[in-house]
Order: sequence, then C-alpha cells, then structure tokens
Amino acid sequence: MKTTLDMINRMQGDGVIGEYAIGGAVGATFYLEPSATVDVDIFAMLPKAGSSSLLSLAPIYEYLKAHGCDADGEHVVIGEWPVQFLPPSDALEREALAEATETEIEGVKTRVMTAEHLVAIAVRTGRPKDHARILQFLEQDAVDTEKLNRVLAGHGLIAKWQQFKKKYGADTND
Amino acid sequence: MTRQERRKRLAGLSFSEKIKILEKLRRRSLAIAASGLRRRSAGGVRNADENSRPA
Repeated sequence: MKTTLDMINRMQGDGVIGEYAIGGAVGATFYLEPSATVDVDIFAMLPKAGSSSLLSLAPIYEYLKAHGCDADGEHVVIGEWPVQFLPPSDALEREALAEATETEIEGVKTRVMTAEHLVAIAVRTGRPKDHARILQFLEQDAVDTEKLNRVLAGHGLIAKWQQFKKKYGADTND
Repeated sequence: MTRQERRKRLAGLSFSEKIKILEKLRRRSLAIAASGLRRRSAGGVRNADENSRPA
C-alpha cells in the first residue's frame, strides 16, 4: 500500500489529479476491523482538459502507464493493489472529498473519507454489501449520529435511511 | 475472547496495522481463487464468514 500511495501522491504533486480521498472498503477499514477487499477506491478531483468541461481519466492511465503500471479493466495496478479512480459524481461525493480526514499509512500521508460520508454514500448506493458495511459501522459505534443525520439530510437521503433502518431494525438513537 | 471483543480489538489497531492485515487477506483471497478452492467449496461454506469475502 505504501508504494501505491506514494505513486498517487506523486500524481497529485504532478497535477494529474487534484485532492483525493480513499473511500470504499479500504476507507472503511480506517474505522472498522479489516474486511477483505480486492481493490482500492480513490475518489479524486480531476483537472479539466483545456476548454472542455468534460472530465477524462485518460491522463491518469497515461501517467501511470508511463510509470510502469498496467491497466486491468477499470483498475490500474499500482504496486500490489488494483486502484479504481473515481471522480466525484455528485455533491455528496464532492463534500466527502472536501471533508476527508488526513492520516498516514506506513509514514505516507493520505486522506480518508469520514465515517459519516462513507455511510451516507453506502446508503445512497444501497447494494447488499453497502448495507452490510453500514451495519458494521453502527455495531461498532463508529459514526457520529448527529453528523450522519446532517449529511443524510443535506443530500436528500433521509427516506433511504429510514428504509434501511426499517429493513434491518437498526437502532441509531436518532 | 468473544467475536465482538475480537472485532473491537481489530478496529482499534492503527490504520497501518489494519492495512497490513488487509494485504494478507487480499493475498489469501487471491491464492484461494487461483487454486480453485473457492469454486469447489462454494456450496458448503458460502456464508461461513462474511468478513473474509472480498468487498
């Protein structure tokens, strides 16, 4: 992971990506016990290409290819880890990126989404594995319920949250 | 140690330590997938340990 993050930080330093944060299962591991995952989700701001308003992942792939990394489907393998680069797709992901927590892995600086944003994104996405992760966050008391409610309300996710709680009988003291 | 206590202890490790565990879990998953073990035993242990399944 150190090699992976070193390269991602280098990409950021070289202006290939802007601010980034780790999300997904690896991001959740910052707060929970480790759960096996096969890849790393990196949410990253991408510089706009020239006058176009379209965002392209091509500069990332080209940069990494030039640095000896191989593409593997939607991932690029950096060090040992397949990495998926995800430009934020909506206001929730942009907020999650902006408010990410700074940390270090093996002495390498990086940023991880807050627990509340990881849960809100999981509520929005709503796959069974997302629901399982939300339950882990709740069981381990790893979210600030007030902050989570603010994030959910700010992004129109209260109805989905109520559905989730009804389905799983989740007790969140809210 | 109960399962809940074990989970709490693991959650309390540093991020670097947890990432090392993730890397071991990932290597183990890849080795199992490469050996075909998962395919052969999928019917019997599919739901045995939710936490060992790749996300």
